[in-house]
Amino acid sequence: MVTWEFPPRIVGGIARHCEGLAEALVSGGHEVHVITLDLPGIPYYEEMEGVKVYRTAVQLGHPNFLTWALLFNHFMEKKMAEVSQKAGFDLIHVHDWLTAFAGISFKYYLKKPMITTIHATEIGRAQGLHNPSSLAIDGIEWWSTYEASKVIVTSDSMRREICDHFHLPWEKIEIIPNGIDTTPYNTSVDRWAVRGRYGVGSNEKLVLCVGRLVPQKGIEYLIQAIPMISQRRPETRFIVVGDGWLRGHLENLAQSTGYRAKTTFTGFIPDSEVVALMTSADVLVVPSIYEPFGIVALEGMAAGVPVVASQIGGLAEVIEHDRTGIFAHSRNPGSIAWGVDRVLSDPGHSKWLAQNAKELVQKTYSWKAIATKTVEVYEEAAG
Amino acid sequence: MNSSFDTSYDSTMPEEFQLLCMLHNIGATTQEKSLPIERISEWTRMEGSKVELQLQKLVELGFVQLVEAEGSNKYHITLNGIRKVLSTYS
Repeated sequence: MVTWEFPPRIVGGIARHCEGLAEALVSGGHEVHVITLDLPGIPYYEEMEGVKVYRTAVQLGHPNFLTWALLFNHFMEKKMAEVSQKAGFDLIHVHDWLTAFAGISFKYYLKKPMITTIHATEIGRAQGLHNPSSLAIDGIEWWSTYEASKVIVTSDSMRREICDHFHLPWEKIEIIPNGIDTTPYNTSVDRWAVRGRYGVGSNEKLVLCVGRLVPQKGIEYLIQAIPMISQRRPETRFIVVGDGWLRGHLENLAQSTGYRAKTTFTGFIPDSEVVALMTSADVLVVPSIYEPFGIVALEGMAAGVPVVASQIGGLAEVIEHDRTGIFAHSRNPGSIAWGVDRVLSDPGHSKWLAQNAKELVQKTYSWKAIATKTVEVYEEAAG
Repeated sequence: MNSSFDTSYDSTMPEEFQLLCMLHNIGATTQEKSLPIERISEWTRMEGSKVELQLQKLVELGFVQLVEAEGSNKYHITLNGIRKVLSTYS
């Protein structure tokens, strides 16, 4: 498995996806080696739940992100060649464009099939191809799907997106959703103590949002919805978990609405604290404008918190409106405010939504089920 | 930033954050790999005085660490800084 992020180096959903899949494959009797990038203070090699993890040091750099990515692929190739001397690989599984070149080189070196999982596309992330780097990344994405024996995506919307954009044959693409380990969400949490840590009173309603603070997550639309929600429900408090370059802008936006005091920006917090907050919140809002899957919605569903999410991409497939969550229109603060109010105004219905969602997650999105489907794709590719 | 600035960054991204990303990408990620202002200025094509100003902001935010060694100041990105950078990508 080749990925630029693997815990504790966590960028977005890919790290958790690779960790869950790799561990489930090992549990199923497979041998999994993960080649990834290093993180200061973390060992260059370790076994994590039976998964052999090799972290590559990048010896050369460049300020341009794309150039840097191409450089680190070289060091990954070296590491893979070294590891292959002692491990007999049957196939290579690459995650996203960032490690595509290393995977493609290795495919030819080993003469083994390569599978690629496309978690998102550049044209979707950037909402267009606006500069030379974006155009180049788009080309690399296409090239990785061309070189792959099979392409895995996490939702039907992504399948349609890459079929249309890269002109791939429909049958080359397999849909395997993200999975989730529900264990951390089933532990007992003192929700009043958790809320108290963030200054949320026992008579207040907690609206939570978790995500990277970048435009694609649409958090500005939730912040614009706060005055509407607060006017109708003065007892609401808002917590935004996550960090990113848009944070300053979002804090200023909250200030400009006059409701900054009701909103807490936590920045990056440990996973255990995210779980504690999710299990203590009254509503989880996922206001994304582009979301190939939306693993945060699954996390909220596993935590038993009612989810209000944009009706887009993978979110539109994971959630069933008014049965396992509530849909809001993307980029629409009024619609988000309506969704939050829908949840808070009918606690009985909200509890029913959350129960349905939790059952769905446990039944459909276990890593064991995801690994089984992935192995079927591996077997098909390996012939 | 001057006109040669890297087009892979969103133009609305704050300048100090663009600098943080570049520090990460050029590999100034540990104390041993920390760099003086002159070197950072060469890599980023930003004026030294501007680099210094932005680095001060990043040090205050805890995203960059100042290392005083051999009579010169060197800088490297912290673990929190790396996390901040990585939150942009993906």
